[in-house]
Amino acid sequence: MKRIDSIFIVDDDPITVFGIRKMLDFVVECRDISSYKNGKLALDQIHQRLEANEQVPDVIFLDINMPIMDGWQFLEEFIRLPIHKKIRINIITSSIDDLDQKNWMRYKSMTEHPISFNNKPLKKHEIAEITKAA
Amino acid sequence: MLKEPRILAGNYLIKQLPTATVFLNRKFEIVHASDTWISYFYVKDHDLIGTSIFQFLGCAKQEWRLALGKCLKGAPTKTVKECHLDELGNEKWFQWSAIPWYDEEENIVGVIVQNEDVTEKMNNDLSLEKLHIVIREQSEIAKIGNWEYSASKDKLSWCDMTRKIHGVSTDFVPTLEKVIDFYKTGYSKNTISMVVNRAISEGTSWREKLQIVTPKGAEKWIIAAGKPIFKNEEFVGLIGTYQDVNDEVLTDMRTRENEKLLKTLIDHLPLNVFIKDSQFRKILANKAECDYLGANGPEEVIGKTDEDFYDKETARATRKDDLDVMTLLKPILGEERTSIKKGGEKVSFLTSKIPLIADDGSAYGLVGISMDITGLKQKEEELMDLINVTSLQNKKLINFAHIVSHNLRSHAANFSMLLDFLVSEKDEEEKRNIIEMLLGASDNLMETLDNLNEVVAIRTNVNREMEAVNINGRIRSVLQGLSSLIKENNATIENTVPDDLCIEGVPAYIESIFINLITNAIKYRSPNRDPKIKISAVKENDRTLLRVADNGLGIDLKKYGDKLFGMYKTFHDNKDAKGIGLYITKNQIEAMNGKVKTFSEVGKGTTFNISFDEKN
Repeated sequence: MKRIDSIFIVDDDPITVFGIRKMLDFVVECRDISSYKNGKLALDQIHQRLEANEQVPDVIFLDINMPIMDGWQFLEEFIRLPIHKKIRINIITSSIDDLDQKNWMRYKSMTEHPISFNNKPLKKHEIAEITKAA
Repeated sequence: MLKEPRILAGNYLIKQLPTATVFLNRKFEIVHASDTWISYFYVKDHDLIGTSIFQFLGCAKQEWRLALGKCLKGAPTKTVKECHLDELGNEKWFQWSAIPWYDEEENIVGVIVQNEDVTEKMNNDLSLEKLHIVIREQSEIAKIGNWEYSASKDKLSWCDMTRKIHGVSTDFVPTLEKVIDFYKTGYSKNTISMVVNRAISEGTSWREKLQIVTPKGAEKWIIAAGKPIFKNEEFVGLIGTYQDVNDEVLTDMRTRENEKLLKTLIDHLPLNVFIKDSQFRKILANKAECDYLGANGPEEVIGKTDEDFYDKETARATRKDDLDVMTLLKPILGEERTSIKKGGEKVSFLTSKIPLIADDGSAYGLVGISMDITGLKQKEEELMDLINVTSLQNKKLINFAHIVSHNLRSHAANFSMLLDFLVSEKDEEEKRNIIEMLLGASDNLMETLDNLNEVVAIRTNVNREMEAVNINGRIRSVLQGLSSLIKENNATIENTVPDDLCIEGVPAYIESIFINLITNAIKYRSPNRDPKIKISAVKENDRTLLRVADNGLGIDLKKYGDKLFGMYKTFHDNKDAKGIGLYITKNQIEAMNGKVKTFSEVGKGTTFNISFDEKN
């Protein structure tokens, strides 16, 4: 089984968070999986870890529609952070809006971090595929 | 034996003869000369007596020599005329004549020559001849013939041109009766009979444009003019002229017909047509143009410039167009222009201006053609508005479809995922946990469907009947329903809406709007102070403004302004926030043709302004 140091799940829907956690149990070995109800909470945590010189996540599962700070607003700030390693970002959404696809392409071109776009529901084998250090 | 005339030098009798006379001997040498003859011909320097007469003749010399020879044999000479230059170099015409000179025994001893000064007569003859030529030419060119009637002889005489005009030959004998018959029956014949009769009885002259019919049946326009002649107050005759003006009259009539046709055409065109001269003055304006300018006829427009009809700005703009067209000689074709008249009336035109170019290549004016497209423009604007509204609604609809799709898909995804887990789960505890979640997801789905239903209901009932709603009545009922919430949160409500304020709306929506805004104000209260909500209203003309202001958390509109009324958007970390309330509120306001605006400052509070315009 793959070993990942740290995984963030950013989603306001507890069922989705439960599902992702459960599937991750089958595919990776990770001792540091944390979840955040919106982008702001996740971003605050990353800031804290950067300041404390702790490890930042290797993989982030990111929902788009969230209160306070949505997935795009999160990305906007995240890509500006002084992080030297590449972090895999997996967008998980039930949106089929063209605009979200366009936003994805835009952010993908703006950063070195690999970004994937995934529609719900996620299957176990898909999770296995996208959960690896970049 | 040749008889020699006795030379009587200084014969006083001959000297005094009144006519210029000279006596010649048989050798045609001068023997005597009258003083008059001497004054005509004599040059003092040489001796006159004994000089040959031929010295005084020019080109007629040979002819005269023969004549004098015959004269010596007893035949009187024919006369010859010859030009002679006098001392001052003027032309003098003399007529020469000679008779034989007999002595007492009837012998011819010489010739007596007489000279007559015919200069004046010659000149008169010449001018008369010239005059005749001129008159004939004039009559040919102007096609004017003349005639004369003598009453005493009852004789009418026609000149050649008069005959030509009437289409008769030289042997035609005109009489007054025949002449009248040439005139076309009706107006022409009646008129000529009347004017001639009046001329004879009252002495008046006439000049009329009439029609005659030639013997070949051709109709011809003429100007008949004439006047009576009286001698000692007694009528003695008539004189007059005929002028053939057929071509001119026909051309004139054709021109007038063409003009009429053109004028009818221009006047009835549903376009404004005008012509301006180089000084920008109108010299032609059709009916549409006159009507547009508020004139009763072209005479109120002709000679005026655009400054007389339009406001300064428009007049300046048209003047610039006119100048460009006339100086650059380039037409303006079908360009859009807006004109504002002095009264303020605004009209949009599709305007063309074409320069009128003179032979020397410069413009002497311009033709303007304008089509009123105000109605068209208005329709275009209405259409644009409609397109904007439609595209906005379309956008909203797409947005709504995405929201629905997103929500249903996320629930479906959760179900699918949880069921997938459930099937393969061995642990009983975990199974119960998953079933619990499935039940929760089911409740969420039901709630989502209810919300969507509500939104659809509002949207599909856009045309729901509106009625006059008393605002304060609704507010009171809402406050009563929320009394326990208000009490629990220690909130104060300050309501200054006048009791008689009504708006056109849907009562249930108005209640729902107030419930939402008031519960939001309490839900997002500041942790530092008790909630205070002010409800007020202002009515201005047709516009009613409702205002709900709180002292709560406030919201950063720069960040979230565009999402505030979005579906499933929440902005505060509040566990009750579902992101549906304001979305429904906005839909309800819009369903009643209202608008909502938000003002907010983080940490101070939020104000919602809801406006209803009765005109909408």
